[in-house]
Amino acid sequence: MKQLFLLISLLLPLSAAAQRVHAELQCKPTGTDFVYDCLIRLSRGGEPLSGARISVGADMPSMPMAHNVKPVRATPAERPGEYRARLDLDMQGEWAVKLRISGPVRDLVILHYDFTESGTAPRK
Amino acid sequence: MDEYAFGVLTNIGLLSFVALSAYLLLVAGELSFGQQAFFGVGAYAAGIGTAMLGWPLPLAALGAMACGALAAAVVGLPALRLRGLYFAMATLAAAEMLRIAFELLHWQVEVDGEPVGPDGTQGFRGIRWVFEHGVEPAGFLALVWSLLALVLALIFLAERSRLGTAVRALGQDAELAASLGIDVLRFKLGVIAASGALAALGGALFAHHNTYIEPRNFDIMLGVHSLAYALIGGLGTALGPLLGVALDIGVLEGSRFLQEYRMIVFGGLVALLLVFRPRGILDERLVHRLTRR
Repeated sequence: MKQLFLLISLLLPLSAAAQRVHAELQCKPTGTDFVYDCLIRLSRGGEPLSGARISVGADMPSMPMAHNVKPVRATPAERPGEYRARLDLDMQGEWAVKLRISGPVRDLVILHYDFTESGTAPRK
Repeated sequence: MDEYAFGVLTNIGLLSFVALSAYLLLVAGELSFGQQAFFGVGAYAAGIGTAMLGWPLPLAALGAMACGALAAAVVGLPALRLRGLYFAMATLAAAEMLRIAFELLHWQVEVDGEPVGPDGTQGFRGIRWVFEHGVEPAGFLALVWSLLALVLALIFLAERSRLGTAVRALGQDAELAASLGIDVLRFKLGVIAASGALAALGGALFAHHNTYIEPRNFDIMLGVHSLAYALIGGLGTALGPLLGVALDIGVLEGSRFLQEYRMIVFGGLVALLLVFRPRGILDERLVHRLTRR
């Protein structure tokens, strides 16, 4: 019966979705090649989102499915809605950072950033 | 298994669709550098279906396959007037044209207060059907590999039929096949359309796995890789391209300690393999020897 409900739910279009999570990323190089310490800011409805469990992964848009970063768990930082994670990338360049969020809300946020020698900048 | 292992296995499955599409053409005697375009057509079509039109994924995937087959047939019809490398160059040119068309495509609608749809070079965000229907990574992995198993079963059945024999024959020698009464153009066009549909199915699944696509996902790099997977794995059986993908992703994942040098090492290994086994690991001779027993 459970499988039947799952099958029916998969065949129906979804009518509504919850309010989405917004995220910002700021990363600094650690001094080791392609390793960055990142600060993630999460908000929802303009308010900082605390208590979230975040899995942070990344892949390169120009080489889809071939260059992936093993997801790491972000830890809460000092301020509400802020989290820290260390990313160990394959190379510099543009990466799509994937935040898989669970906890008080469930969401998936994709951020595009250029990772350079000096840090990160959002893709223009 | 952790989230990463699910991701790697899903990627192997997704890449297998585009590798199998290149394999079908290679068996029919054509070299295509353009399969990434049909993968992209499928990704965009299915994304538009679920995220913008509110279709369920199965319907969007079927629509994507139809679009992929149509796009491949439209490219194939004029390209089949060419032979060998000229055909390969024509498919590459068509793929680049389609990628540039994706860059020029701007069509967004508002869904839950967020703009959703293709936005040129900024890509197409919010393809969240799988996520919003609570399909977990393990469930999506099962879906991808079930569809792949179905596709493989269909290819195995086709290869054991007169159709498969005819396609292999025209792949070996089109003129000889024509002299035996095989309609070369019709058969090749059919294979091209089927390969387009197959690549599009992979693209549809990729878009929903990633939740985000952009034109750069479908550039020449993916086309070269898909061709390489089929050539590395071997042209003797449809399992060859899967072996090629598994080797590629496996070697890449297993050589992380080499950091930025791993692509160079990988390229060298591929070159060596093709020197010693030009028709791949599971080539026709090996498959014949194994199946004869």
